[in-house]
Amino acid sequence: MKYAYFPGCAIHGSAKEYAMATNAVNKYLDVELIEIRGWNCCGAIDAVYAYNPLLSISLSARNLALAENTKMGIVTLCCACFFTLSRANSMLRENVDMKGKVDKVINDAGLKYAGGVKVRHYMDILANDVGFDKILQKVTVPLKGLKVAPYYGCLIVRPIGIERFDDPEHPTSMDKVIEALAAEVVYYPDKTRCCGASLVMIDEGVMMEMTKALLLTAKNAQADCIVTPCPMCHFNLDAKQKDIESHFDLDLGIPVLYITQLIGLAFGVPSKELGLHRNLVFPDKILEKLKAPSQATPKAL
Amino acid sequence: MKGHIQQENPRIGVYICHCGGNISDTVDVVKVKETIAKHDGVKVCETYEYMCSKPGQDMIEHGITEHKLNRVVVASCSPRMHLDTFRGAAKRAGLNSYFLEMANIREQCSWVHDNKELATKKAAALTRGLIERTQHLEPLDEKSIPVNRDVAVIGGGIAGILTSIELADKGYKVYLIEQSASIGGHMAQLSKTFPTLDCSACILTPKMVYVSQHLNIEILDMSEPVAVNGSPGNYKVAVRTRPRYVDKGKCTSCGECARVCPVKRFSPHEECLIQEKCIYLPFKQAVPSAYVIDRDLCLWFNKGVCRVCERFCKGKAIVFDQREETRQLNVGAIIVCTGYQQLTPSLSKEIFEGWDAFSQYGFGLHPDVVTNLQFERLMLQGIHRPSNNKPSKKVAFVLCVGSRMDRGIQYCCKIGCMNAIKHSLLLLKALPDAEPWIFYTDIRAHGKGYEEFYSNARNHNVKFIRGRVAEVVPNGDNLIVRTEDTILSRQMEETFDLVVLSPALLPNVGTGELTKMLGIDLGPDGFFLERHHKLRPVDTKMEGIYLAGCALGPKDIRESTIETMATASKVATFLGRGEVSVSPEIAYIIPERCNACGECVKYCSTNAIESTPSVAVINSISCTGCGVCVPRCPTGAIDLKHSTDEQLMAQIEGTCEEDDGEPRILAFLEKTTAYGSADLAGQTRGSYTPKVNIIAVPSTGRVGLRHLLHAFASGADGVILLEGDDSSFREDQVREHVNNIKKGLSKFGVEPLRVVSTTTTLPQYDKVVNLFQTFDERISKMGHISPEKRQEIAEALAGGK
Amino acid sequence: MKHNLSRHITTQMTDPSFVEEIKKMLGGEKILDCIQCGVCAGSCHARFAMDYSPMQILKMAQLGLKQEVLSSSTIWICTSCYTCASRCPRDLNIPAIMSGFKNMVMKNNVPASIALKPKFHKTFVEIVGKYGRMYEPELKIKLINKTNPGELLRNASFGMRMFRKGKLKFQPFKLDSSTRFSEIYQRVLNQEAQK
Repeated sequence: MKYAYFPGCAIHGSAKEYAMATNAVNKYLDVELIEIRGWNCCGAIDAVYAYNPLLSISLSARNLALAENTKMGIVTLCCACFFTLSRANSMLRENVDMKGKVDKVINDAGLKYAGGVKVRHYMDILANDVGFDKILQKVTVPLKGLKVAPYYGCLIVRPIGIERFDDPEHPTSMDKVIEALAAEVVYYPDKTRCCGASLVMIDEGVMMEMTKALLLTAKNAQADCIVTPCPMCHFNLDAKQKDIESHFDLDLGIPVLYITQLIGLAFGVPSKELGLHRNLVFPDKILEKLKAPSQATPKAL
Repeated sequence: MKGHIQQENPRIGVYICHCGGNISDTVDVVKVKETIAKHDGVKVCETYEYMCSKPGQDMIEHGITEHKLNRVVVASCSPRMHLDTFRGAAKRAGLNSYFLEMANIREQCSWVHDNKELATKKAAALTRGLIERTQHLEPLDEKSIPVNRDVAVIGGGIAGILTSIELADKGYKVYLIEQSASIGGHMAQLSKTFPTLDCSACILTPKMVYVSQHLNIEILDMSEPVAVNGSPGNYKVAVRTRPRYVDKGKCTSCGECARVCPVKRFSPHEECLIQEKCIYLPFKQAVPSAYVIDRDLCLWFNKGVCRVCERFCKGKAIVFDQREETRQLNVGAIIVCTGYQQLTPSLSKEIFEGWDAFSQYGFGLHPDVVTNLQFERLMLQGIHRPSNNKPSKKVAFVLCVGSRMDRGIQYCCKIGCMNAIKHSLLLLKALPDAEPWIFYTDIRAHGKGYEEFYSNARNHNVKFIRGRVAEVVPNGDNLIVRTEDTILSRQMEETFDLVVLSPALLPNVGTGELTKMLGIDLGPDGFFLERHHKLRPVDTKMEGIYLAGCALGPKDIRESTIETMATASKVATFLGRGEVSVSPEIAYIIPERCNACGECVKYCSTNAIESTPSVAVINSISCTGCGVCVPRCPTGAIDLKHSTDEQLMAQIEGTCEEDDGEPRILAFLEKTTAYGSADLAGQTRGSYTPKVNIIAVPSTGRVGLRHLLHAFASGADGVILLEGDDSSFREDQVREHVNNIKKGLSKFGVEPLRVVSTTTTLPQYDKVVNLFQTFDERISKMGHISPEKRQEIAEALAGGK
Repeated sequence: MKHNLSRHITTQMTDPSFVEEIKKMLGGEKILDCIQCGVCAGSCHARFAMDYSPMQILKMAQLGLKQEVLSSSTIWICTSCYTCASRCPRDLNIPAIMSGFKNMVMKNNVPASIALKPKFHKTFVEIVGKYGRMYEPELKIKLINKTNPGELLRNASFGMRMFRKGKLKFQPFKLDSSTRFSEIYQRVLNQEAQK
């Protein structure tokens, strides 16, 4: 199964391990993500939009136009890019005026967007195209006894209409993947609670308060780790965890994995290939628990 | 009563009223008299101070008898004032009342114009129009058609039950058709009713028993209508009855069968909180009181085994080979009392395009999140928490779940607030140290005794927090409710034992199919639509079909009851005399011209036209006389009594006869709402140009291309078509109709801008005045149609278009 | 948190054209539909840090209290998580409206309650304009308050941690001219300048 792939800026920067793990896992699942040539910033849901809404939607439209040309849909790993593109899609559909303005902008660069792209997140591909059964089949290292808190983040469940693929209040797609890996999903009521997103750059204190709540809920549920599909959330939960610990004088130490890192572990992929060494809160306890070798050769496909 | 006067040549009497100066101060009535008296066919032309007075009416009667008048035109106020008065005078003198017409020279002339000369000319023009029309009038009489005096009531809830009782007590035979195994509806699930805290079963069950014993009521349980044919007063309702697999006559409700049945199911009556067996009694006070087998779960029907109930039934009442039955009922009227259903998560996903209104409240995630109907059942079972059977002391009531949402269900459920207050007070009665909290956006305590009930709750320290609840999060044993207290402007979190949700109310299952079967409409909220919001709240657009209860929209029991009284009264009026009068002003087929093409059938909004292989047939009771079908007929095979083609053409010509050099505008107004609105403009002394001459028509749909061409040929320079907002000629049909007319006009070289069409409501008379003025400006700029053009059109029409 | 609304709001203090301005925003057309039910405020995960709740901002906007709205901290704290919008019974696109208010602040140079925030947006857009994509290290560096030693130190140590984990990208990726990205970027800026 081939898809046009929109990585998003974080993937090539601080969230490199997400792409690493996803690539490793895709080999097992017969999924091929083909990066769109010349993609630009998605439109950054608020960062760009607040400064210039037309710019934001034009940036989104350029990507959608490029994707439309590939005729392979569009799949993103980043949840913020997912919703930004989806929201731009809706706005272009509903607002003839805006569509006109945006068309003028991208036509200039020789591009046209007819509105035919359905924006999808990688989680949607896993849940609906690959299917939980197939994931189950490929598990060679069942994650028995591993307690996982599924943290979806807010934006992945926000699209409406056909681009919505999971319940906005109580999504279960990631839960089902975790269960297919034989891990235990803990009760985690903060599945879609906002981590604070880009407040990390402009009002760190507020963001830390918000992310702290997520970490504490996971800790109270006795989770061994948190799993997330969003690079922005991962950054706040993982990279900033130490700062949160010192700011609030807490001892958390909860590893935060990307969903494909968790899947990779269950598929027997070596942790280095999954980029686990890049996580700031190193998941050594998990690897211990699974007795997963860090240098094993991947099982034959 | 003297017989009709029918003569070859019209002998017309014209009576012009001064109206005590209301007309004569602006219109020179003497001049009008002089002009009109010279007109062909006018034998008598008089003026008088007050035509509607006794002497005035005597003049008319005298004129008819003395001068052998066979047509009368009274030029005075609006026909909406005194048409019946003057028709009475004509009748008394032995003249068929349909030979009398009125020219509206007050509300639509003297009251709205200042220029005396022009107003006088217009009065004469309007009168001339009517005079020409009378030349083509025919004698008409109301007909009577016998009707069937039996009645079908669809739905056996409180509305259906009370309607049946009202009508049965009046002597009508009632068929009460109930879809489930017992009558009673949702009211049978309630514990107490607000605000009196009467026991619901105590007031309902005696009525249920009365219905079962009433000689005039036949209950058809397990039944639903599958087809409705016929016409008002003579409906044929095909009813299908599903088998209950138990012989009602033999079943004693002893319950032995249920004791031994091995299959369980969740009881709908108990809102799925309790289990019952798959052979079950709907509830203890069920009427009819007999068991039912749930065929979908029964082992015999699914696997071919068991039948234990049959073995244990002492009365041999179990009948596994019971069959479905169909029956035809002949009734004169049908009353829809189908009630409501509550919103559920799956319905929510359907209506809100994938969004579940219950999801944010944890419904289905934790057993202690329940609906208000479930709480009713809990109250009768002991108000325990479903999760651990402990008493539920701290209870949150979350209102407006799925209601008041733009994305789907916009209306208020109307009973949520009162139910929550009721539940709070009952909770405190049962558990004095309970803590009920009500989370609301608005407290709607609209009915009798409701505000006092609300105060009572406040005084019992029921906590009220103003804010639409954001989420309910299960937290171990308890539930956390998160919301903004908008009054204290702070976010709050509070822990509860039980959360009770108030789901939105929806039209009951099967509403869509029933609407199509009956040929009635649904309103924008999805409930059945009443004929008129204020004045005909229980009628539908079909004669003989009525509504009552929540089928019309959410409401409390008292309002439902009031509606049933209204409906029963309406039915009694309709059927009481054993016959209905049919207005003679209806459409009729000219058989020799009809080729049974079926075009007309498509446009009839009351399904009054039936297409047969040889000819179309119009049902005289269903036909409302709107005339929309008339211009549609490609062969001119339909006409409309009292607004025939000839009459309309004549009135157009008569109104346009005198050319005074000013552009003339003919305005065709739908005769009830639009015409009424123009009258209101007069009553409020609005002002518009005298160039606008109004002609009343049953509906602007009745006016076709031919008539407009005739208007332009006769001297009009512009035409207005004004339809009533509430007419059965819908807006999209109006637009299509007018577009076709405009296309046709262009072919004749008449600019489409010379025609304007819009709708109005009764009180929008200033919109009407504005329309007249702005259109006049447009036509003045466009100028006259040249005499050559008029000639051209006239010839083309005569040539037989 | 306490707010500063004065006791008496007279019509002189309100800006009647504010509602019209808001209606022109994408998502702002429905501003008058809000009945202040409070579900947005109840749902907001960042509400605790705001001086006015989202519901209050919408009410103030309806009343034309332009100054108060544009000088609130609320509009800058909103993270566009869309929890409010997904539950709003009137389907108001609240985050888009908040973004719209930020836009108004940045367009009119109305002094923001916290200067860093408009700087974030401005810098972000500049970087995207330069490279076609975001380059996080440059954004972070440009936003750090270099006069605050404590902040410098903290960020330096954070930077080291990221570097050691190989998460710091040293070179920004720049879209080449064949993508014609800069034409688009320029075109938008020109359109805005024309207004």
